[in-house]
Amino acid sequence: MTSLDLLFILFAVITGGGAVLTVTSRNLVHAALFLAVSLAGIGMVFLLLQADFVAMVQAVVYLGAITVLFLFGLMLTRAPIGREALDSRNRPMAMVVSTALFGVLVVLIVRAFGSFPAVTPRSSSVGDLGMAIFSSWVFPFEVISMMLLAALVGAILLARRESGDSGDERAVTPIREALPDRGEVEAEERRAELAAGDGGAR
Amino acid sequence: MEVLNYAWLIVALPFVAAGVIAAFGRLMPLKGAEVGISAIAIAWVVAVMIGWQTFVNGPVEAVEQVFWSIPLGGNILIEFGQYVDGLTAMMLVLVTTVSFMVQLYSREYMHGEDRFTYFFAMLSLFTFSMLVLVVAPNTLQALVGWELVGVCSYLLIGYYWLEKTNSDAANKAFLTTKFGDIGLVVGIIVLSVGVSAHTDNVFSIRETTELAAAGMLSQPTIVLGCLLIFLGAMAKSGQMPLHVWLPDAMAGPTPVSALIHAATMVTAGVFLIARLYPVFAQSLAVMNTMAIVGTITLFFAGFVAIVQDDIKKVLAYSTISQLGYMVAALGVGGYTAGIFHLFTHGFFKALLFLGSGSLIHAVHSNNMSDMGGMRKYMPTTFVTFVIGSLALAGFPLFAGFFSKDEVLVSAQIWANNGRFTGSLVFWLGLAGAMVTTFYMGRSVFLIFFGTHRGVAHTPEDVEAEAEAGTLDDEAEMEDLDQAAHDADGADLTQEEVVAAGHDDDHAPDHGGHHLPHESGWQILTALVVLAALSFPVGLMGGFLWDEVGGSVERNFETWTATHLLEEVSYPFLADYHRVDLEELHGGGEGEGHAEEGAGDHADEGAGEGEAAGLAGTDHTTLAAGSDLVLATEAEGAEGGVENRVLHGAPEFHLNVFLLALGGFLLAVGGAWMIYGRSRPMRDPLLHMGGFTTLLENKYYFDDIGYRGVVVPVRDWLAPAASWSSNVILDGIVKNTGGAVKRLADVTYFTIDQKVIDGGINGGAFSAAWISSKLKRLQSGDVQRYAGAMLAGVIVLVVVFAAAR
Amino acid sequence: MTLIGPLVLGAFLFCVGLYGVMARRNSVLVLMSVELMLNAVNINLVAFQNLKWPDDPAATGQVFALFVVVVAAAEVGVGLAIVFNMFRNRASINIDDADMMRW
Repeated sequence: MTSLDLLFILFAVITGGGAVLTVTSRNLVHAALFLAVSLAGIGMVFLLLQADFVAMVQAVVYLGAITVLFLFGLMLTRAPIGREALDSRNRPMAMVVSTALFGVLVVLIVRAFGSFPAVTPRSSSVGDLGMAIFSSWVFPFEVISMMLLAALVGAILLARRESGDSGDERAVTPIREALPDRGEVEAEERRAELAAGDGGAR
Repeated sequence: MEVLNYAWLIVALPFVAAGVIAAFGRLMPLKGAEVGISAIAIAWVVAVMIGWQTFVNGPVEAVEQVFWSIPLGGNILIEFGQYVDGLTAMMLVLVTTVSFMVQLYSREYMHGEDRFTYFFAMLSLFTFSMLVLVVAPNTLQALVGWELVGVCSYLLIGYYWLEKTNSDAANKAFLTTKFGDIGLVVGIIVLSVGVSAHTDNVFSIRETTELAAAGMLSQPTIVLGCLLIFLGAMAKSGQMPLHVWLPDAMAGPTPVSALIHAATMVTAGVFLIARLYPVFAQSLAVMNTMAIVGTITLFFAGFVAIVQDDIKKVLAYSTISQLGYMVAALGVGGYTAGIFHLFTHGFFKALLFLGSGSLIHAVHSNNMSDMGGMRKYMPTTFVTFVIGSLALAGFPLFAGFFSKDEVLVSAQIWANNGRFTGSLVFWLGLAGAMVTTFYMGRSVFLIFFGTHRGVAHTPEDVEAEAEAGTLDDEAEMEDLDQAAHDADGADLTQEEVVAAGHDDDHAPDHGGHHLPHESGWQILTALVVLAALSFPVGLMGGFLWDEVGGSVERNFETWTATHLLEEVSYPFLADYHRVDLEELHGGGEGEGHAEEGAGDHADEGAGEGEAAGLAGTDHTTLAAGSDLVLATEAEGAEGGVENRVLHGAPEFHLNVFLLALGGFLLAVGGAWMIYGRSRPMRDPLLHMGGFTTLLENKYYFDDIGYRGVVVPVRDWLAPAASWSSNVILDGIVKNTGGAVKRLADVTYFTIDQKVIDGGINGGAFSAAWISSKLKRLQSGDVQRYAGAMLAGVIVLVVVFAAAR
Repeated sequence: MTLIGPLVLGAFLFCVGLYGVMARRNSVLVLMSVELMLNAVNINLVAFQNLKWPDDPAATGQVFALFVVVVAAAEVGVGLAIVFNMFRNRASINIDDADMMRW
């Protein structure tokens, strides 16, 4: 048990805890902040693995950009609080499936790599990484940059108000009214189901 | 052998043509048709050269080349290349010939359509897709071609997408085949996992089949993989539960139907099975599944065709039925029989579809009830259509006769090997052949004989005329209605109806009322060429091949056989011995067989022994051609176990021939009785089902009763007898009639309404009920879908981990 | 440092993310959970690169991790745009309200 291992365990616990809190938190803003904690932990794990540049990118892109983007997203939509608003009725199924998957994965990992000897990661230079990107991976790199551009243009197109609107908030239609043919009875049923499910969960 | 290296040219030409048409087609004088037709013509020439090369060389080693490979990491490569052997060459010839004819035909048929250029681009792309599949050296390329075929068929079936039903039909075709594609993808993966234990090139068809033939693949891998691939083939080749898209696919233009049904789409499944046949042959379960599914399909699809009025629907169900034959033949070990039927069927079904297109073109209606008497107006179409029908019905010396007989012979041999599916395929196949003959006879009689039935008055035409302003259509319609009433009441013929309709026709020569006329030269060329081809393609695989001048050593069987197929054996037939081989290959070892047959298979029954003996003595020379190919097997035969894959040389089985011919004559006779002799105003089959014969009997019964009972009584006894005797006799007569009526009622209400209708309705209702429950699965809850998918992944991981 | 540690951490993050994707109603939370899953993959990539194949001159694992980061950024952009659109049109960003594609 080297100090490296101990550090890894520490950051792994931080990362995992942050992740768990992200998906269980009842407050959306808290969830976003826990996500930031978890992402930072992952960045530290990258550092321990001597992947400095990836850790840097992790910090800049995820902590800097994506977390903020999420916070903006939360602000621009309503951010309700509480289990009813945040958790769907698929929670038990999700719990079962993801636990089972974790079990299967752990068994597979241990069976496949359990005998792999412990090594100390060597530091890799950013220069080598740059050489690799711009020699071996230059075509995928260009492709992915095009994809990023396309995605951003697409995001702008999707998010922008449709032309012709004067800027007034459009009359929004709540979803249940938008679908009159579903029938009110069914909506009632579903609400009842929802309530019953949550009652059981508590 | 050099020409085999240029198979890629055949694939590339339609692709280039599609691109050129799409880019520049609108600027060209013929709107792009010239590019498509000339490209496919060149491809056709190359295909014929390759076909000839492989044909004269007999079963050769396949030429396998890889042009482009993409590493996926690990040892896995996606390779694009070509794999040319006899089977490939056969398919190349079939696909390019049919596609060539269809494009030539479409040039005239689709003339003036809005999206003519698009249509030709899509035809070329469709052909290209199928060719990609045909030359595929590995299952991944086959999958690419397979999916491209699906997409192109979707686009072509939905060609007239402005009508909702047509786009629905396209969706239906796409989704149904897509359902099977899931099975195909998973099956390919399962097989590749099995192969990966032995070789790096996990998707290679050659490696897979060789390993399977050597017995290196585990039985569960083979069963699971093959059944899943078969699911894909079922959807693509319209086998019974998944055939639903095929009749709807008639929504596309007729040339597309011809292309789909003859060469490109539906044959893909059968071709893939044939391509992987050494793998399929390793498992009895897989073979039985194929045989049973094929038999159900061939038998029941044929019956549906009987009651269709739409000529294209008749042909569609006929296609399903014939595909059933192919799959059933493959399922009873008849490799050669299955693909031979695929080959011949491709030609005559294309011919039939193009012929029906010619008719539809002329009368502007799909319905046979709108045709009639077309023989006079369209003599060339008539002759070619009849040739196609005879070929489909299996009249001797026509293509379908040889191939269908070979299917039946294979089934019989399989049955003699102690497999019940053999008998099943044989007898139901025979019955199916009769049904085929019957509905084709019905179509021919309804379309070409009798009198023309007022085709010019289809709603479209009336509309067109109304738009053209040449006709007071209301008056015309009233006239027609009135005439129709007259016809009902006074038993006028249809001609008079039409004539009555014409009486008040003030415009002497407007367009809508001309009688149907023969199509132009491009349509007729395609028809005549395909009709002419219907003969040699049947002969080359038939037992008469050398009689008509063909080389005895070069026939269809040697063409499409491969070395591998001769080495592969049925593991599950291990306990059946030498005699089976000679059953399979008959002829050459005929005398030997007769002895052995007497010894080992005395229980086979006298009829079979007689027929086999007959084949042995009379047709030694006929089957001698197979000796070369089969020599290796004969040598191996001394070792003991004889269980090779059935790709026997063509041989003559008198009993099969007589049964098939008898069935044919019976069915044609039936069709003639109902539709040919006198023209019923209403199609009796549509209204009475199986009651036609009963009606005839009833008629005779009344007749006999009248002459035998009523007349003597009235003439001799009545003058002298008192009224009581009249009462008694009347009572007898009345009660007899009452009993007959009650019997008929019971038959109708109990058997027809309750049992038959009830069964069908019950099936439909239970399907509706089950689907009303099952649809809840489609909850729209994406998270639940994700959960279900992952649960599936977990189960698969656990299963595979446990299996290791 | 053993290979197992990062791999198990990656598996854990992946499963937690999966749980979030399946259990959360709020679309933004679902997107966050997707980010967790992508990061789990990144951990695996970097761990394999630096512990198992440290001598790969192409640095495949790290480069792929970078690509994944880029894809994740694009995904968040497009995903949030879709969420905004849904919010604007439906006044709700609950995933189970977006179930029009059902029977």
